[in-house]
Amino acid sequence: MSMFVIGYYAALIAASCLAAYFQRRQVFLLLFSLTLVSFVLGIIGGVPALRVVTICAGLLALAAGTSYAFREFLIQISKPGLAKELRTAPLTAAFGMFVIFTYAIAGVFAPWIAPHGESEVISSAFAPADESMLLGADQLGRDIFSRIIFGARNSVGIALVATTLAFVMGALAGLLAAVKGGWFDNFIGRTADVIMSVPSLIFALLMLSIFGTNLWVIVVVVAVIYSPRVFRLTRAVAGNIVVMDYIEAAKLRGEGDWYLIRKEILPNSTAPLIAEFGLEFCFVFLLIAGLSFLGLGIQPPTADWGSMVRENATLISFGDITPLIPAAAIALLTVAVNFVVDWMLFRSSGLKEM
Amino acid sequence: MGDLLGLVLKRLGLGLVTLLVVSILIFFAVELLPGDIAEAVLGQSATDETLAALREQLGLDRPAIVRYFDWLGGAVVGDFGVSLVSGDRVTDAIADRFLNTLFLAAYAAVIAVPISIFLGVVVALLRNTVFDRVANVVTLTSISSPEFFLGYILILYLAVKTNAFPAIASLSGDMTFGELLHRTFLPALTLVLVVTAHMMRMTRAAIINLLASPYIEMARLKGMPPWKVIVKHALPNAWAPIINVVALNLAYLITGVVLVEVVFVYPGVGQLLVDAVSKRDFPIVQACCLIFAATFILLNLAADVGAILTNPRLRHPK
Repeated sequence: MSMFVIGYYAALIAASCLAAYFQRRQVFLLLFSLTLVSFVLGIIGGVPALRVVTICAGLLALAAGTSYAFREFLIQISKPGLAKELRTAPLTAAFGMFVIFTYAIAGVFAPWIAPHGESEVISSAFAPADESMLLGADQLGRDIFSRIIFGARNSVGIALVATTLAFVMGALAGLLAAVKGGWFDNFIGRTADVIMSVPSLIFALLMLSIFGTNLWVIVVVVAVIYSPRVFRLTRAVAGNIVVMDYIEAAKLRGEGDWYLIRKEILPNSTAPLIAEFGLEFCFVFLLIAGLSFLGLGIQPPTADWGSMVRENATLISFGDITPLIPAAAIALLTVAVNFVVDWMLFRSSGLKEM
Repeated sequence: MGDLLGLVLKRLGLGLVTLLVVSILIFFAVELLPGDIAEAVLGQSATDETLAALREQLGLDRPAIVRYFDWLGGAVVGDFGVSLVSGDRVTDAIADRFLNTLFLAAYAAVIAVPISIFLGVVVALLRNTVFDRVANVVTLTSISSPEFFLGYILILYLAVKTNAFPAIASLSGDMTFGELLHRTFLPALTLVLVVTAHMMRMTRAAIINLLASPYIEMARLKGMPPWKVIVKHALPNAWAPIINVVALNLAYLITGVVLVEVVFVYPGVGQLLVDAVSKRDFPIVQACCLIFAATFILLNLAADVGAILTNPRLRHPK
């Protein structure tokens, strides 16, 4: 029994006792079950396993602290109405907003933050990390850290463009279908069904094999693949609004379809659409990352997280975690967006259970 | 019962029509190529003679409709033409790999389905406790991670650092079944992680939806123990959504399998498809896409039929 193990269990048990004493049932349950799990883990994995648990707990605490501070910061700087909303945000949502904020900064100011250029070869291949290169060099001798920063601009930027395009197409089609109805509605609906009946990655691969892996081809193909999802949601939301009396009234006034969409339907369907935008972004982002990972997405020398994982994957067989960092960056952003979307769905639709 | 049979047949027919439309899409998408297949294959090195020869060989001088029916007729009996790159028959290239892919997906499904349904029910029972929140965050993280991220983490910790499982899932003919399971464990586990998270969340949502209904409230109010409420009252009605969830997630496996196969260099259809796409080997791409799409449609169909079978209310559409 080392000092670390004794201290570890003492801290856990003391914390659970404190939680029990102050009647914090949830906290107590969590801490005490962690103690029980640690017994098993400690027997199987020994001291290293317990160390991992400690590090994870520390990281979680750090993340929780950061998100708490960030939420307070947002509450302080925003207007009273918005601040009241923000106070209801769970810590996970605050964490998500913090991560998105960080990525946005990294993406916008990439050339100033990154110490080296995006495709600048500065050392030998797979050179280890030193003062000028935080994470070492990749397979061509480019600085991995700089490329990750630039990746925030490229990968996220392209995903954003594709999502926006998918959204504009899907939402427009959905709104028009809801307003016009009839054969137009049916036609678009069936088209969406067909597109959705092919798995998205497979469809993307088919299209890329035909049109080549040009950047714009990727954006358009991905947008086409994901627009049916937006279409369905918009159609459903708008379908509920179209039957309202005020729409009837506007129609009787002689307003055109475009007016109805813009002034009557859209303002009443923004909340679910914004949440859908977040979800859609996650799907698009993961699909593009997957394509880049397969070598069929964003082409070199543009720095992109998916292709960085692929290019440096050999390092993993030497036990080096550097190739996992861009993959983790992808996962972190998707998780963050999901957290925020979860909260928005909960808030806007009164959807109590996801 | 005849009524039910008719309904199921109708769904099957609709599925067939969808498949037909998808096959049209897959075939004619290639026709959209700027120029034609022959030009795309030969690229810069094309001369008039080689172009004409290749067109002749591929039968491009016939109208597209005729070629489509030829292709479809072949596809129905399992003949997808010859590869443009190697000149081998596409069916030979795909057959073994398709079995491998099915094996991997089945392996993952056998582990994932019971675990995720069990965990889903448990989490639904513990809803709004701290365990539920933790499970929510963990599953969300697992869903949000790209498959290759999970795959490489598993390789790093289970293959490189501890050497418990092989990092590359190479298969050979003379392996025992146990060895096969051992070799393909990591790719299967990657798929399990992604799919379990999905299924858990959906099972939880399905059960919680049910638990809000008045008859469950009634059972609870008359003093029934919670497990009995779940097993006797909620579960019989939850089968329909759960079957739906399982089928949808098996369909999801189809997409996940492509990335996982590439990560673990697993000899399956996904790997073949990716190679064919980068080489622009259209017959193989079309065949793989059709197979994936057919499986996907079939599983979605299974979800619908399962829902109809387990939920009598769906048998009488309003």
